Amino acid sequence: MNFNVASPETNEELFEVIAANQGRNFRFGAGCTDLLIELKKQPEKDLTVINLGYLNDPQFNSIENNDGSVRIGALVTANRITSDLTIQERLPVLYEAANQLASGQIRQVATIGGNLCTASPAGDMACALVALKAECEILSANGKVRVVPIEDFFTGVRKTDLKENEILRSVQIPVNNSGEKVHSGFIKVGVRRSMECSVVSLAYHIQITADDIITLAGIAIGSVAPTIKFASSACEYLTGKRFSEIGSSESEEFATKILEYASPISDIRASAWYREEVLFNISKSIFE
Amino acid sequence: MQKELKVIGKPMPKLDAGIKVSGKAVYGQDVVLPDMLYGAILRTEYPVAELVSIDTSKAEQLAGVVSIITADDVDVNNISYRRDHPALKKGRVNCIRDEIAAVAAETPAIAREALKLIEVKYNVQEGVFDPFEALKDDAPQINEFSSHEKNKNISHPFHYEHGDLQQQKDKSAHIVTSRYFLPRMTHACLAPCAITADYSNIDNRLTLYSVTQVPFLYQRDMAHVLKMEPSRIRVIQTVIGGGFGSKLDMYPYEPICALLAMKSGRPVQITFDREEEFIASPTRQKMVIDLTSGVDEKGKFTFRVAKIIMDNGAYTSWGATTPFVMMQTFSSMYQMPACVFDADAVYTNNVYAGSFRGYGNPQATFAVERNIDLLAEKLGMDKAEIRLLNANFRGEFTGQELEFNTCGHKDALEMVIDGVGKTRKENDKDQKRYKKGIGFASMLHVGGGAKIYPSDGCGTILKMDDYGYLTIITGSSEIGQGSETVLGMMAAEELGIGIEKIRVINTDTDIKPWDVGVHASRTSFVAGNSLLGAIKELKTKLSPKAAEMLKTDEDDLEYDGGTVKSIKTGESIKIDKVARQIHFKGPNDLLTVSHYYEPGSKFADKNFKGNISGAYAFAAQAIEVEVDTYTGNVRVLNIHMAQDVGKVLNPLGLGGQIEGGVVMGMGYALTEELKVDNGYILNPSFHEYKLPTACDIPEIHFYPIETIDEAGPYGAKGVGEAPLIPTAAAIANAVSNAIGVEIDSLPITPEKVLQALSNKS
Ligand SMILES: Cc1cc2nc3c(=O)[nH]c(=O)nc-3n(C[C@H](O)[C@H](O)[C@H](O)COP(=O)(O)OP(=O)(O)OC[C@H]3O[C@@H](n4cnc5c(N)ncnc54)[C@H](O)[C@@H]3O)c2cc1C
Repeated sequence: MNFNVASPETNEELFEVIAANQGRNFRFGAGCTDLLIELKKQPEKDLTVINLGYLNDPQFNSIENNDGSVRIGALVTANRITSDLTIQERLPVLYEAANQLASGQIRQVATIGGNLCTASPAGDMACALVALKAECEILSANGKVRVVPIEDFFTGVRKTDLKENEILRSVQIPVNNSGEKVHSGFIKVGVRRSMECSVVSLAYHIQITADDIITLAGIAIGSVAPTIKFASSACEYLTGKRFSEIGSSESEEFATKILEYASPISDIRASAWYREEVLFNISKSIFE
Repeated sequence: MQKELKVIGKPMPKLDAGIKVSGKAVYGQDVVLPDMLYGAILRTEYPVAELVSIDTSKAEQLAGVVSIITADDVDVNNISYRRDHPALKKGRVNCIRDEIAAVAAETPAIAREALKLIEVKYNVQEGVFDPFEALKDDAPQINEFSSHEKNKNISHPFHYEHGDLQQQKDKSAHIVTSRYFLPRMTHACLAPCAITADYSNIDNRLTLYSVTQVPFLYQRDMAHVLKMEPSRIRVIQTVIGGGFGSKLDMYPYEPICALLAMKSGRPVQITFDREEEFIASPTRQKMVIDLTSGVDEKGKFTFRVAKIIMDNGAYTSWGATTPFVMMQTFSSMYQMPACVFDADAVYTNNVYAGSFRGYGNPQATFAVERNIDLLAEKLGMDKAEIRLLNANFRGEFTGQELEFNTCGHKDALEMVIDGVGKTRKENDKDQKRYKKGIGFASMLHVGGGAKIYPSDGCGTILKMDDYGYLTIITGSSEIGQGSETVLGMMAAEELGIGIEKIRVINTDTDIKPWDVGVHASRTSFVAGNSLLGAIKELKTKLSPKAAEMLKTDEDDLEYDGGTVKSIKTGESIKIDKVARQIHFKGPNDLLTVSHYYEPGSKFADKNFKGNISGAYAFAAQAIEVEVDTYTGNVRVLNIHMAQDVGKVLNPLGLGGQIEGGVVMGMGYALTEELKVDNGYILNPSFHEYKLPTACDIPEIHFYPIETIDEAGPYGAKGVGEAPLIPTAAAIANAVSNAIGVEIDSLPITPEKVLQALSNKS
């Protein structure tokens, strides 16, 4: 595994490095926890890794609390996400997903942008962001910026909507500041309690008014389809219902709706049967 | 009266802790010799194939390549105690590990590049991957060197029996039969395999910087393969980053490295990367155990009949002899009137198994303890009570003729039954989703060596210098288990000198006296006894002089605080002064002595009967689990572990062995399996081979039991393997107890649990 590394610090330098590598083989790298494994498996010849890690633009590397949204730079690490108080309080699903990712060492370097751009169906933070209906802000090497809803960002197994010379700059997450309660969390199933790749995952973020009505629901599932899936019919099913009145038959109906989005495969980690069974069980469990 | 101990029994940090935590320890990968080359091995692409041709010409032309060897270039004997394993394969390959060619080059990268340039033409063939298929008449002969003792595809058959089976069957109120499936587990040593070979054609001597745990057997085995005299081979053990039994055998990469060094005339080093470590190192035996057990109406066990098929893989390692240990468990763990045992190591085209901490005992214990729970259920008897009723006892002479001169089995059971009663909290979680259960298991293992070689002894040489510093040259080996620290503690205790004045030399076969190796939990016991014998001899030099200087009798002396003291007068003299007087004044001698200890154990006879160990270790575990019926995940909540260790020598080292062993047992129980499909390994990485992590480890409550066995040093017995042995059995019993399903295979994955629950409903 041999490659050159370029480490731009400013956006201008970044654009220059990208321009200089046109027609050549290059990849972006942030925490490199996915990239290095990929390159070890399939070494690429004459490769340059454009290391985004030194970029000093706050839009890439900070967490901003705006009115009605939280904006997280693509280079923000899982560790920083877990220590952010707003995220802990307002977006538990993201906090829990980041906290259950890999191990302490990996969380120290793994970025949220890398988790999205890798586009793994087992991506934990990515799954939370789908439940949260985040928007992806994409910067092009010509300086232009476009925004894509996260649902459109994933286009297939390990495929994204990013074009050549495009970089993910940040994700924007809507936050409801009206004082509504949230029922929000991330359930990750695997064989061990850390250093685990999700065998099935479920992200849920449900907003409930003071008088118990569900106003908004976001449910996403991981590792059970080629991409992370947003279970919109399950979300619609919940909207308008009284939260405290969801009993076992409702939660099973809800779980059945979620299952419609799953098309799991059998692999070395688990069978399709197991994945469906568990997805159903953990789906209903969020109301228990 | 036993004298009060000052060092033994008190916590002592390991002597090698400093170099290990500071990164100064020299592991196999750290060895650098002048002019050294780097070796790499070309392994087959297919598990089973005829080798049509091997063309190394392109690789030879690569700049930086110095030597290449294939089977055609070398004149060697086969490896393995069954002599069925060629180091380099000729004509055909039999499993995915098979070595076809090896390269020595100036850098590791060039060596790897050269491997890619070697062109091999294969004629791929069907393999036999199921041992039951291999036993059929029309199966092909898998290993051409098979001894044909019982069947062309059985490497090594074992049969054992005692008692009147029919009579015991007639006495039985209940009989249960189950088939158990035990997986391959790999050692996952932190330091992958490494060797450096240095051959001198000036004096025709070979020096190996090796990670073996059995240096003297290794020297002999290497000599056999290379057709050399053993004494021309010097084995220097580097710091070893994990053995666990994996380094009991010699593997092809080791003679291959020596052959490359001989051919190139330069030192050569071969190291594995993590993937090669997973693929090319041995595993615990995969096996299928059919066990039938009986019990009378009062709950006394009547008989066991075990039939075991072990997947030997394509070649034979010491692992094929695990039935030696397994038969003890079937014949003698809990009182056992009758036992019939058969085990066959069957050749297949899978990767070959090796020896692994516990040596078959975790598998045997799993079967025995699962069967006990089934019998208790049939009887409607409490699962703790049935075990207490049948526990082994002091003075027991078992059907296999093992003699239990001390026995803490019942005490161990009582400790853990009591312990689990205290930690168990009921109904503190939603009982609908999470179900709790408790499981018990015991274990019996050798605790004073195991006489399976012509000798089970260990030699010690002691040297005390003019300044009162002691060098212990022991035949035994340190693989991280902490034995050298315990040896240092014993010498400090007996000679009354500080541990900082003691050095242990234990890594060089040109210097150290013979020892059979680290295995069978034997080192503190056997090397400890050997050391104590040597110290006695050292004192036959020290004491007369000290008595003379102190003007007192020899039996009035006490060694303490760096001095020799007269108990009567209270007068003392520094030990180094005594040493100097002996050297310079008279009798003009050096304080150098040697001692050899051979345990009093016997060989088993041809029917496998006999007291093969100097002492026996017993343990019991009670494990509390919680099963998530939504996901099938098993969470271990508490592990209670009581072990008859004879005597606690170093509580710190003991704690490390207990916790490490229990955690290894948890991995075996719940998550670890080297998956092999049609001969290919599916998960050769830490990502897919699931070792338990710190987050998975519960509270481990340890209760040492001291039975003071007079055969052991200070009464101690072997401890290293025991903590791993009953863990999987106890966890399986706990899971079965929690959710009321049969658990007949390991690892108990979430999927198996959910499948069992869904079959039940
Ligand atoms: C041992 C281990 C355990 C793991 N466990 C988990 C786990 O539990 N859950 C989980 O979800 N993941 C896990 N992962 C995967 C990985 O750590 C995460 O996906 C992580 O978030 C990736 O971030 P990174 O910064 O390291 O990405 P990188 O490896 O740097 O990049 C990943 C990919 O995204 C591209 N990329 C990165 N940033 C950008 C950007 N800003 N714009 C455009 N492209 C970009 C890169 O070119 C590359 O293709 C694990 C990895 C390892 C090694």
